[in-house]
This record gives sequence, C-alpha cells and structure tokens, in this order.
Amino acid sequence: MNFKYIKYGMGLFLLTLFLASCTEKIDIELDESYTRLVVEGAITTDTMAHTISLNTTTSYYYEEPAPGVTNAVVTLNDGESTITLSETSPGRYQTPADYFGIPGRTYKLGIRLNSPLNGEDTYTAESTMNLPAPLDSIRAVYHEDWGTEGFYEIKCYVLDPLTTDYYQFKVLKNNTMLTDSLNKVLITDDRFYNGNYTNGIGVGYLNQAFEAEKVAPGDQLTIQSSRISETFFRFVTELQIQSGFQTPLFSGPPANVQGNISGGAIGYFTTYPVNYTSTTVTDAK
Amino acid sequence: MKTIFLSFLLLLLNMSLLSIPVSAEPDDSGIKRFSISGNIRDQKTGEELIGATIYIREIKTGTTTNVYGFYSISLPVGRYSLLYSYIGYTSVEKIIDLKENTTINLELISREQQLKEVVITGEKAGENIRKPEMSVVKMDIKTINRIPALMGEVDIIKAIQMLPGVQSTSEGSSGFSVRGGAPDQNLILLDEAIVYNASHLLGFFSVFNNDAIKDVTLYKGDIPASSGGRLSSLLDIRMKDGNQKKLSATGGIGTISSRLTIEGPLEKDRTAFLVAGRRTYVDIFLPFAKNKDIRDNILYFYDLNAKINHRIDDRNRIFLSGYFGRDVFSNDFARMSLGNQTGTFRWNHLFSQRLFSNFTIIQSSYDYRLGTPEGNANSFIWKSRLQNQSAKADFTWYATPGNTVRVGAIATFHTFDPGNAKGTGSESLFTEYKLPRNYAMEYGVYASNEQQVTQKLMVKYGLRFSAFQNIGPGTIYNYNENYEVIDSVVVSRSKVLNTYTSLEPRLGINYVISKSASVKASYSATTQYIHLAQNSTAGTPLDLWFPSSQNVKPQKANQFAIGYFRNFKDNLLEASAEVYYKSMTDVIDFKDNAELLLNPELEGELRTGKGTAYGLELLVRKNDGKLNGWVSYTLSSTTRKVAEINNGKSYRAPYDKPHNISIVLNYELSERMLISANWVYATGAPVTFPTGRAVVGNVILPIYSDRNAYRLPDYHRLDLAFTLKSKIKENRRWQGEWNFSVYNAYARKNAWSINFEQDVDNPMRTYAVKTYLFSIIPAITYNFKF
Repeated sequence: MNFKYIKYGMGLFLLTLFLASCTEKIDIELDESYTRLVVEGAITTDTMAHTISLNTTTSYYYEEPAPGVTNAVVTLNDGESTITLSETSPGRYQTPADYFGIPGRTYKLGIRLNSPLNGEDTYTAESTMNLPAPLDSIRAVYHEDWGTEGFYEIKCYVLDPLTTDYYQFKVLKNNTMLTDSLNKVLITDDRFYNGNYTNGIGVGYLNQAFEAEKVAPGDQLTIQSSRISETFFRFVTELQIQSGFQTPLFSGPPANVQGNISGGAIGYFTTYPVNYTSTTVTDAK
Repeated sequence: MKTIFLSFLLLLLNMSLLSIPVSAEPDDSGIKRFSISGNIRDQKTGEELIGATIYIREIKTGTTTNVYGFYSISLPVGRYSLLYSYIGYTSVEKIIDLKENTTINLELISREQQLKEVVITGEKAGENIRKPEMSVVKMDIKTINRIPALMGEVDIIKAIQMLPGVQSTSEGSSGFSVRGGAPDQNLILLDEAIVYNASHLLGFFSVFNNDAIKDVTLYKGDIPASSGGRLSSLLDIRMKDGNQKKLSATGGIGTISSRLTIEGPLEKDRTAFLVAGRRTYVDIFLPFAKNKDIRDNILYFYDLNAKINHRIDDRNRIFLSGYFGRDVFSNDFARMSLGNQTGTFRWNHLFSQRLFSNFTIIQSSYDYRLGTPEGNANSFIWKSRLQNQSAKADFTWYATPGNTVRVGAIATFHTFDPGNAKGTGSESLFTEYKLPRNYAMEYGVYASNEQQVTQKLMVKYGLRFSAFQNIGPGTIYNYNENYEVIDSVVVSRSKVLNTYTSLEPRLGINYVISKSASVKASYSATTQYIHLAQNSTAGTPLDLWFPSSQNVKPQKANQFAIGYFRNFKDNLLEASAEVYYKSMTDVIDFKDNAELLLNPELEGELRTGKGTAYGLELLVRKNDGKLNGWVSYTLSSTTRKVAEINNGKSYRAPYDKPHNISIVLNYELSERMLISANWVYATGAPVTFPTGRAVVGNVILPIYSDRNAYRLPDYHRLDLAFTLKSKIKENRRWQGEWNFSVYNAYARKNAWSINFEQDVDNPMRTYAVKTYLFSIIPAITYNFKF
C-alpha cells in the first residue's frame, strides 16, 4: 500500500475543487543558521569505485552546488580491514574501482576533517548490508489514461519473505539510470503484504510526458532492487516528505531529517545489495 | 467499572426521588411561593425560543428560557408585571395576580412580520449585562444567513470564526481554534450528539445545513458544568423542532449545492416533523471539464437532518432527531467516502412546574473508508470508525427567583476502530492489516447553582466530576523512555485497564454596576480524555481519535477570564472587553516526522507538554435596526512547551495569530434589499521555514528554523453580499430571495501555504512560492420559503 497513491488521489480531489488555486513567487527573507557537515554515501554489491561525498550546508538561497569539504581523512572498515578513500575531486572520496560490498558485513565509516565544522572534526557512521532481494521477473505495462501522455508501469513478481523488510527500487532504461535523485527512488516496507507473492505490484513509473522517460519498442527496462535498512528507509521517507510540496491539509510541521551520522552532521551512510531484473518492451504502447 | 456505573445509576435515582414535586413551598420567611412557568414559542412556526427573557418589573430580575423554550420562576403571592422579550421579536407584557401555580405559554411575534419598528424598552438591563455568563456568544440563524459566504454556502462554522477569540485553522477551513486551543478541543454538539468532524470537502464547507438549525451558542471558556470532555470550547447547535402550525418548506438553489427542508405538524401543536436535505452538484459539471483527470472524478457530499417531536401532555415531550452526512469522492486512483451520523432521543419531563428534567440517549459516529479500484496488485480498502453511545439525565430546579440549581449525569461508551486495511479483489497482494480496537467509558456528574446574591451580584458556581476508563478487550503497549515499544499485553473483555478522574470546578461572577454596565469574572477547569491525531494545521478527513490511556494522560486546562460589559443607547449597542488566561497541561503534539495513520504504536509518536494562551477580546455588537452587525478585535498569544520538540524551547502554537479583526455589517436599504459586508484580518499563521540547506542525493534538503519561527504574510479579505427579497404580498405563501455574493472582493492572494522550489533551469537556485486558493469568487443563490 503506497500512501503516495492516496496523496495523489487526494491532491486531485483538491485540484478538482479549486481550479482557481494558483501559485506565485514571493520574496521571503530567511535567516541563516550555522554551517554543518553533509555526508552522503552508499556501498553496494556492484564492483565499482564507491563514493562518499562530504559537503557543507549553505544558506537556503545559495545558488551554487554545495561546497565540498577537502583534505579530510575518510576510512571504511568492513569488519576485516580498513581502507582509506582517496579524494578524486573536491569533497568526493572514492574506494578503489574493484571494490564491492559483501552482504552480512557491517561497514563503519570514519571521517576526520582537516579543520572542524561547528566544533566537530570527527564523525562516524555504520551500516550492515542486508541479504539481496532478487526479483523473479518484471513486466512493463502501458497505462494510456494516466497523466497527459500516459505512463509505463513496471510490475514486479516475487515472493516476499516472512521477515520485516524494506525495499528500494530504481529504474534503468537501456542501462542508463533514470532514478537520479533520492526524490525519485521508490521505497516501501512490507507491512501490508508481508510473506505474500507480490503479484505485479508497481515498482517503477515512466512518465511519457518526460523526454528522458519515453519508452520505444525494443528498449530494455531494468529494475535495480535492494533490501535496504530500516534506518535508510526512514531517512528517504523523511527526505521525500521534507523536500516535497507541503500543504496545510496533509503536511505535519516541517522537521529536520534524521540521518545516521554522528556529531551533528546531516546526511546518510548506507549499504545495500543490488540486483538487476530486466524486460524488453516489445509492442509500441 | 461496575462500581462507578452503579453509583451513577444510584445518583440518577436519587435525583429523581429527591425531586418529588411540592406544589407550593414556603421559603425561610414562611411566605408562600408559587411558580409561573411555561414555554415561549414563535407565533408563526411554534418553534420554541431559546434564551427568551422573562423580566419581572417588581423584583427587577427575571429568568430566561432553556434550550427547550421552558422557563420557570417562583414568586411570593402578589401582583406582577412580566415582560417577555426575545431579540427580533415584539415584547409582550403580562400582568398577573399570583395566587397559585400558573402556566403561561406565550407565542411571540417576529418583528419581520410586523413591518414596523418597535420601541425598545429601556427599563430592563440587557441580558448580556444581567447574566453571570461570559465568553459566550449566541448567534441566531437569521444573523448567520446574512453573512456573505464562500460560494454562497451559508455556513455556521464560518460565522463562528468571525467572533472574537475564534480563529480559522486555515483559509476556508471548517476547523477552528478557540482562545488558542486545538481544533479537537472544541466540543461540537448537534442536538447533544457529538459531531466528530464538522467538515465536508476537506473542510471547505461545514456539515450544518443552516435551514435545519435553530440556535448556535459558542462557549469559549465559561463552559457550563453540564458539559465537559473538551478543553477549549463548547459549540452547542440545536436543530429546529419542526413547524407546529402548518406545513412549510424552505430551500435554496446555490452555486454548488441545493437544499430543501420540509417541516410541519402531524397533529397541530402536538406533533411536528422536520426533514432537511442538501446535496452538492459539482460532479454534474465534471464531465464538461477539459482535463481528463478531472472529468473522470466523482465528487459530492450530502446531508440529511430529520427530527420529530411529540408533546404527550403538558408535562412530557419527546424528541427524536438525527443527522446523516457523507462525502463521496473517487477517481482512477483512489476512492474515498466519509461522514458523520448522529441520533438523539430526548424526553422532557416536568416533575413539577419548578423541576424540569431531560433524559437523553445519544449515538454518534464518524467513519471513513479509503481505497483503490479493484483488479490490481495494490488494490486495497482501508476503513476506520469511531463511535459513542451516551445516556444522560439533566435536571433544572427553579428553586427560588434567586437560585436555579442544575444537576445531572452522563455516561458515554466510546469505541475506537482506528484502522483496518486489506486487499480487495483476487489480484491484490495485501493481507488484512488490523489495528486493535479500543474501548472506553467516560462519566460526568455535575451540580451547579445560579444565585442572585444581591440585586447587583450574581454568581454561578458548579462542580463537575469526570471519570474515564479504558476497558478491555484491548492491547496495551508499554514504552520505554525513548518512546519505543518494549512489549505489549492483550487484555480480556470488560477488564478495566486504567482509570482517570478529575474534578472540574466552574465559577462565574457578575457584578452589575448600573443598568447598562457590569463586571464579570469566571474560572473554569476542563479535562479532555479523547484526542485527535492530527499533525497538519487544516486537517485531513482521515481523522483518527484516540483515548487517554496508561501512556497518554488526559489534557487539562484552567482558564481565568475577566470582562467589562457596557451597553449603550438603551441596550441597542452591546460592547464588551474580556481578558483571559489559560494554562494547559499534557497538551498533545507529535514528534518530528510522526507517522499517525495505520500505526499501532501511535502513542509512541506523541509528545506532551504545557500550553499557555492569553488574550484580550473586544466586541461591539448591534443587533437591531437598519444597520446591524458587529466589530471584533482580538489580541492574543498562544504557545506550547514540549520537552522533545524544538529542543525543549517554547514555540508558537499553530493557531497563534496575535491580531485578529472581524467586521460584519448588514444594512437594510429597503424592506426588500439588504447589503452585507464582512472584512477579516489576521496576522499570518506561524510557519517553519528553512534557514539553511544540504544537498543530499541530488535533492535540496531544507534545514529548518526553530518551530513556527516565521509567519505567513498577514491575511485579510472582504466579502460582500446583496439580497433581494420578493415583494411581500398578503396572500402569497411563496417568498423568494436572490442572494448575490462575492468572496474575497478585492481578490487578495492570501497565502495558503509557502513552499520552496528549485528553478527549472538552474536546479541549485531555490525560491519561495506561495499557493493561494481563492481569488475573487462570485456566487448566486436563490432561497425560497412557502
């Protein structure tokens, strides 16, 4: 059960009523709070150079990408050995290119800054990698009547185990990642279907009104599925709420998103296994 | 549980026995007293008039009719001149020689029918000066009908929001905050039955069909001892009883809905009925919409009010009334249906002319169901329901002209079914997901006396004792200090799991300085045992009420108020100034990013703390004359302090709007034409804005200020209406009127919400965007009566 559906439904409900409701830009002066460290990093089972990025917070109206934090010492411990990541560009710290995560292991991230931010120079985080969650199969279905140009829905077929699980799904088209931000990631818990066969629940949506998401016959659609940790699930849930549209009807008071980095830093460090399941679109819509 | 219930029954019995009527009681000085009692009604419809006054010139005091139109006063043998009056009606004077108990039933004539101005008597003090009641506003339905309304839908709740001390929760919302309280702290009663969710269509319209309503009274602080269970206010709404004289109909055809009310006698002056219906027809126009997504929507609401009353004899009368309303909405993705139901059975019984009683049985419920169409893997339906059954007895003993004693008791059984979701259709992958039901009993016993101590001093004192018990079967969750569930226990049926009790004193003092001025003070303590899990300011229809329990303490409030009341021009102009201070404990808020729906561990999401509200309310009101209406100004502050929220620092409550002005004016251009205007101004509602940002996962993540540290831009709006009545002809029954209204006449773009968006061309650039709901909205309504 995806609450996003409900919100979409109720949003339409509202829209129906108030065709007159409008938006316009407005000048709001905002104060500026102190600078904090922002950490972002995920270790997966893919063999590649995995990145941990370190940035700082900025004022809200800052117009540039977040400034990177350089010359930090970033270490990664997988329970057996510790490696030090190398800074490949300002604020981006990478593992060697042959690095991959191993399910079941607990990873510890250590960060020591060159100069402290807000009085803190040492930050840590840890994450245990879950076991993989491969899908049996996926299928792409076209819905002509969704939205203006229709949607492709990617349905998934797999038996959910009896444990409490949290999943993440990302969409690739012809091996290009379409899910390029945490806002677009589809995450779900199995609270309402624990232990059941998923029977074609939607795990990816391609809006045919967007150029990048347009699907042509012969295109290969892939779902990257992961069994993520509860901590990361909550982080993404909160992030999606707090960066989304807020209304007096549905939204609670705005609140800061809780990450898993110590020392008052913002952001997350997580690990998850990834599995890829593909389907080829045969017919034209 | 049993013992409380038994003592409750015993108490009821006692009250009935103790009150064996005595025809004439000698008072302390040995002088024989007799009573004058009766009912006061409208001459045309036979409707009982609530709050009509009976003033006895000789003793310079009087009484008022109760909610059933009944009054009683006992006086020594003698000759008296009684003045019966009611706002908008011609006063009547009766002179009687009181030698025995006397019944005077009177029918007053509405001034509208008389067509001529009537001299207003300057002899008696205005009711607002004389009564030891403060922080109370009574509105009659005629006043409410004249207020220009959104889309022409006259709305009781929207009228209430124009009173001092009352704020709307957000633009167009039916939620309201009284003296800084939360919307769930208002007890809304329709014929004594609780209305849990007073809104239709996400709050833009209220559930009350004004054609079926007789009287609306809002108690903002000085809540009578006979009521309890909510912290901030009591909104007491009474349905019409039905025309006792002749069959008649009232109705209207509006921009978004139509209404029809039929009422009349089944047996003249003994049995009358009323049936009122209302339905919107936005959906009729949806197929014409250009946008396909909108075209396929279904969207409507309807209301049905019904009432029947029967006078068995002079001492017994029964009433049966009910409300049923529903919102229905569906599109390709979601289906939703929700509504309130209430039912009230009442029996008025006169034990004697001086002992009035009423026995009530009430049922009310609110439910919603939400789901998707069948046939998909994610098809589901989710239902939630809340209901209560109550039994109640109230006695009023008109002991002496200077003492009116009220006692009574109520017992309520609550059932909470917070949620039950399951897949629908053979395709669905969802299993049933059920939150445990909760049951609770709530009791209230009260006694109060309204006492004329001296000619100038009147006091009203009362005590309410309330109790609340969680009852099995149920599931108790135990939490640790981090609000995490450590274990849960399933308990069996009928077992009392937890008991709370509370003593709630209520006190009102009125000192009459002169015929046209008085000073009043009041104190009231209130306790609230059931709460609404609502995290947003305007609220969704997905209301989830939950009971106090071993983990959730009842909310309590103490309120002090003092006021100066002054009338001018022979009571034509009423002015008042009140200041109040309210402190609340165990007020409920929610942790950051709380998850309230379908969460069995909801109690772990709550954070409780203290609340403080204080303010000044000024009101000038003119009830009669060509130009009538009111002007109100409120200066207020309301804050909360909760240990785990906002780092334990005090923060503004969501409805803290320091300055609030409402002007409501009507002017009769002629007998047939009326113009109305209202203007409202309020400081912008508190909001939380980002004071920094982090970029995470290609998403701009706001870092927020202290809670509610900013404000939306100030809100103001002008509404206008023009009413044109059909010519009044002697022999024509049909009376029609056109009502043209304009909401937000100068089209101010009042911010409903402010969001921050990323620039399309440069995603790293962010700017603020405000959403406003209504620009100028004209509407036409045709109302009729026959």
